[in-house]
Amino acid sequence: MFNLLRMDLYRVRRSKSAYNCFGLLLAMSVLTFWLMWLMATPEGQKTAIRIGMLALTEMKEAERVLEGVDILTFFRQIGLDGGMYSVLLGIWMMLFVCSDYQSGFIKNMMVLHQNRWGYIGSKLITAGIVNFLYLILHFLFVLLLNALFGTLVPYAALGDVIFYLSWSWLLTTAYCALILFVCVLTRSVAAGALAAVLLGGGALVMPLYGLLNLFHAAGWLNYSIYLSLSTGSNQYTSVRDLWVYAVGAGFLVLYTGLSGIIVKNRDV
Amino acid sequence: MQYKKKPYAVETACLTKRYGSREVVKQVDLRVPEGAIYGFIGQNGAGKSTTLKLVTGLAKPTEGEIRLFGRSVNSPVIGRRLGVLIESAGLYRNMTARENLVMKAKCIGLPEEKGVDQVLETTGLSDTGKKKIKQFSMGMKQRLGVAMALLGNPDLLILDEPLNGLDPEGIRELRQLLLRLQEEGKTIVVSSHILGELSKISTHYGIIQSGRLVEQVTREELEEKCQDYYQVEVQDVKRALPLIQENFPNVQAEVFDLQTIRVYGLADGSRLNQCLVEQQIPVYASGFHRMDLEDYFLDYIGGEAHV
Repeated sequence: MFNLLRMDLYRVRRSKSAYNCFGLLLAMSVLTFWLMWLMATPEGQKTAIRIGMLALTEMKEAERVLEGVDILTFFRQIGLDGGMYSVLLGIWMMLFVCSDYQSGFIKNMMVLHQNRWGYIGSKLITAGIVNFLYLILHFLFVLLLNALFGTLVPYAALGDVIFYLSWSWLLTTAYCALILFVCVLTRSVAAGALAAVLLGGGALVMPLYGLLNLFHAAGWLNYSIYLSLSTGSNQYTSVRDLWVYAVGAGFLVLYTGLSGIIVKNRDV
Repeated sequence: MQYKKKPYAVETACLTKRYGSREVVKQVDLRVPEGAIYGFIGQNGAGKSTTLKLVTGLAKPTEGEIRLFGRSVNSPVIGRRLGVLIESAGLYRNMTARENLVMKAKCIGLPEEKGVDQVLETTGLSDTGKKKIKQFSMGMKQRLGVAMALLGNPDLLILDEPLNGLDPEGIRELRQLLLRLQEEGKTIVVSSHILGELSKISTHYGIIQSGRLVEQVTREELEEKCQDYYQVEVQDVKRALPLIQENFPNVQAEVFDLQTIRVYGLADGSRLNQCLVEQQIPVYASGFHRMDLEDYFLDYIGGEAHV
């Protein structure tokens, strides 16, 4: 498996998709900061009024948009809570896995590595590493933007940052396992892209939640990857806050297992 | 070329593959001796690629057993002894030839990238530089596919249609390369539609038809079967055949189609023509034929198939 991992990491370094998806994430962060600067700072509001984005009557209300928001909450709101981070990570994961099948390179791998679990393991470890780098570098970029925009929001405690980043890493890696499962099942870029957008953006979970809520049966959906990412705690206050780790680990094991079974039993 | 008897590099027993109720490979007992160049021949859809996929572990057999160099195909040691090009060269389009080969080298676990430059040189791709695969011609992709198969110095090469897309010079170079590799002791299983090329290098042949391995012969056995014959096209085969059999008792004659008779073991064709003309049987065409692999194969499968 480690030879496959070496190969996958080399490919991530050489291919553009990882950089493109991360670039989009950074661009969205810049856009969000710029919008918040326009809304919540006196200089920004002047510009916003001049270009017609804001009315004089809305100024007071707009100022309050960042009330009670620290850098960690803001970081969540930029990418993870709304699903944009998951969509971009999912698209990268889809490209990473589906291109093995599309190019036919999978044949080279499978001839050499008859133990198919190695393939799944390598993909998930690579996804975990990319996800880790995305989260850390994105957070550092958000810190940099905050400084550049004149400290729009206050900083958060390091312990909270580590707690949040660790469980969100586990949940988003589990989400990568879900995309891996869809890709090895369908071997289709279209299906993978659709899954990345619908599952990552909550376009499946939210309507389903609404529907089930009519029958008071939507509670279990709070333990889906999408809603767990939105509702997990910023701070560790008690053991109950650790439930997100359990959700992440559970889905990671489930989708890894399903992917492995499919790859093991299907011909290349 | 003298072929020495060695253990089998590829041996299958009752190899069968079913997709639903459709049996695409039926009870195939393939035997490829070590050091051989095994020409694997069959029509489109005959089951060549599926058989090769089964042999390389890319597909799972429904029934039967596969042994490579006496070991199970699932053995981790076997993968490293195998170089494969099946259906198309599996290449990442946005990478260069070298990057694709480095990927494969890492996948094999080669400690250094020296072998990459060597196979690029061997396949004439060392000057491709930063050109991406998406800008490669089909022939170049095919060469790179062969280079990928050669990486890691495998003992067994399995090449499915490696000549596809190659120009005449490329075909000649690949032929020479395969012969050189065989001299180095490698075993090569190669399928191709270009039977003329296959016949120039193969030491063994296997013919697959509708999923069944219908014949497996050595080159010597094939040469024996591909006898010279004299072919004569006449107006009336019903009159001509008994006449030939009566006047030339030491030859073997058979009706090939409504106007054609093939005569085996005949030394002088003019005497036969004269005999027919004297009996007022018009002769439209005649001549000696050397049956080659293509004739033999087409004869075997019924004459009209597209290989």
